[in-house]
Amino acid sequence: MTYVSHLGLQLVSFFDELGRTVLFLKDILKLGIKLDVSRKSVFEQIWRVTVQSLPTTALAGFFVGAIMAVQFTLQVKEFGALGFLGGLATSGTFREVGPLLIAFMLSGKVGAFTAAELGTMQVTEQIDAIRCLGANPMKEIILPRFIGIVIASFFLLAFGLMLSVGGGVLVGIVFSNISPEEYVRHIPTVVTFPSIAGGLYKCFVFATLLATICTYKGYTTRGGAKGVGRSVVSTSVATMVGIVIADWLTSLTAEAVLMFFIRG
Amino acid sequence: MIEFQNVKKSFGDREILKGISFFVSKGEILFILGTSGTGKSVTLKNIVGLLKPSSGNIVVDGEDITQFSEDQLFAIRKKCGMVFQHPALFDSLSVFENVAFGLKRHESLSENEIRDRVHESLELVNISGIDDKLPSEISYGMQKRVSLARTIALRPAVLLFDEPTTGLDPITTNSVNQLIQDLSRKLKTTSLVVSHDMHCALKIADRIIVLDKGQIVDEGSVDEILESQSELVRDFLLEARAGGES
Repeated sequence: MTYVSHLGLQLVSFFDELGRTVLFLKDILKLGIKLDVSRKSVFEQIWRVTVQSLPTTALAGFFVGAIMAVQFTLQVKEFGALGFLGGLATSGTFREVGPLLIAFMLSGKVGAFTAAELGTMQVTEQIDAIRCLGANPMKEIILPRFIGIVIASFFLLAFGLMLSVGGGVLVGIVFSNISPEEYVRHIPTVVTFPSIAGGLYKCFVFATLLATICTYKGYTTRGGAKGVGRSVVSTSVATMVGIVIADWLTSLTAEAVLMFFIRG
Repeated sequence: MIEFQNVKKSFGDREILKGISFFVSKGEILFILGTSGTGKSVTLKNIVGLLKPSSGNIVVDGEDITQFSEDQLFAIRKKCGMVFQHPALFDSLSVFENVAFGLKRHESLSENEIRDRVHESLELVNISGIDDKLPSEISYGMQKRVSLARTIALRPAVLLFDEPTTGLDPITTNSVNQLIQDLSRKLKTTSLVVSHDMHCALKIADRIIVLDKGQIVDEGSVDEILESQSELVRDFLLEARAGGES
């Protein structure tokens, strides 16, 4: 097989998989709109994902804020504008770096766990058993996990972003020699509503993407333990790549919306 | 009760079932024997709609289910309970919750009625006192029994067993075989057992079908199978005798 035909097959397979993922999301949303899901299962999933990922997200959020503060210190010091450090670092974290890095953390933790869990259920025939007991696996196990991951990831990302301010304040004190009051003083000036809305918009998109990919990969696992391994790896790769592409798209769309509504 | 009419099933280029036809009468225990990869499990999965035939028809209780939608299949799945090769118990649910799973979704039973039905089903498979245990806390043999209890809790008219004794020690194998026979008689169910255990088939089957490379190579009562001239059946019988003597 030539290199070109191999590449062609890879492309066909990629778009085939992409199409199936979109159809899978459509099935989830169709069920979700009817709200035909056990609330208990959804709350269990929210709780599980939150508890599972809170320490990681908190840590990631804190250090993202700290890194941004260090980077901005080097820039703003030259212009004698250290007073704006808090505002600039927080704005950058909220709008771009925070959602991205925290989503990466969640994809490694929540995404891989969910794909492995659902994949194991698939290869040990638990999902077939659900169908044979007259229940719909999409409703019983996929929808609660999907909603749980979206809601919990959204909260976790938002929580991580708040902690990033703490990381920035600490760097402000230790590294930049400015007080916490000085650090936070210009945050309201620079971090405007569009910055926060943009960050939350990204959080929501990343969470939805993560939930879709990991539930799809887990649900469609084939081939025993090896298949579960493959699903976990492909979930990690697909979510990472997907999040980066979604970051670019959300930045573009957020900017377009901002231009249209706010700047006229 | 169940009828296969020239059923073929392919996965890509690989044809697994090459046009098989057979029937299972009400109350009968039918064994489908064959070596690994001959399409035995595929046959069972076609009955409950987990797989769709590539061509041919499957009739369950007078209804041609071949083109049934997922919603229509729910009723068939209630009628035909399937016991999987793996216990396929839900890891995060206790034994009680596993057995009650189908009841809570299908039947309009009160909590007390569900509890009674769960305990009754567990007693039928000779298990008691492990309601709160998780599947990981009980032995593999027990998990198989709980899986059977979960299936019979819905009181299906047909029981489909996919390799029910695979991975079990000889003593547990015997008790599971006995259980299949007892349940079929007590609950008056029709049983279709997929297996490669001729020894067990000779003991409890009313009729045996031998499948090889997606085709039926022999079919008949236990006595007829014992007289079979098919090379594969002779091999199975030799193996069964060796197993019985050891």
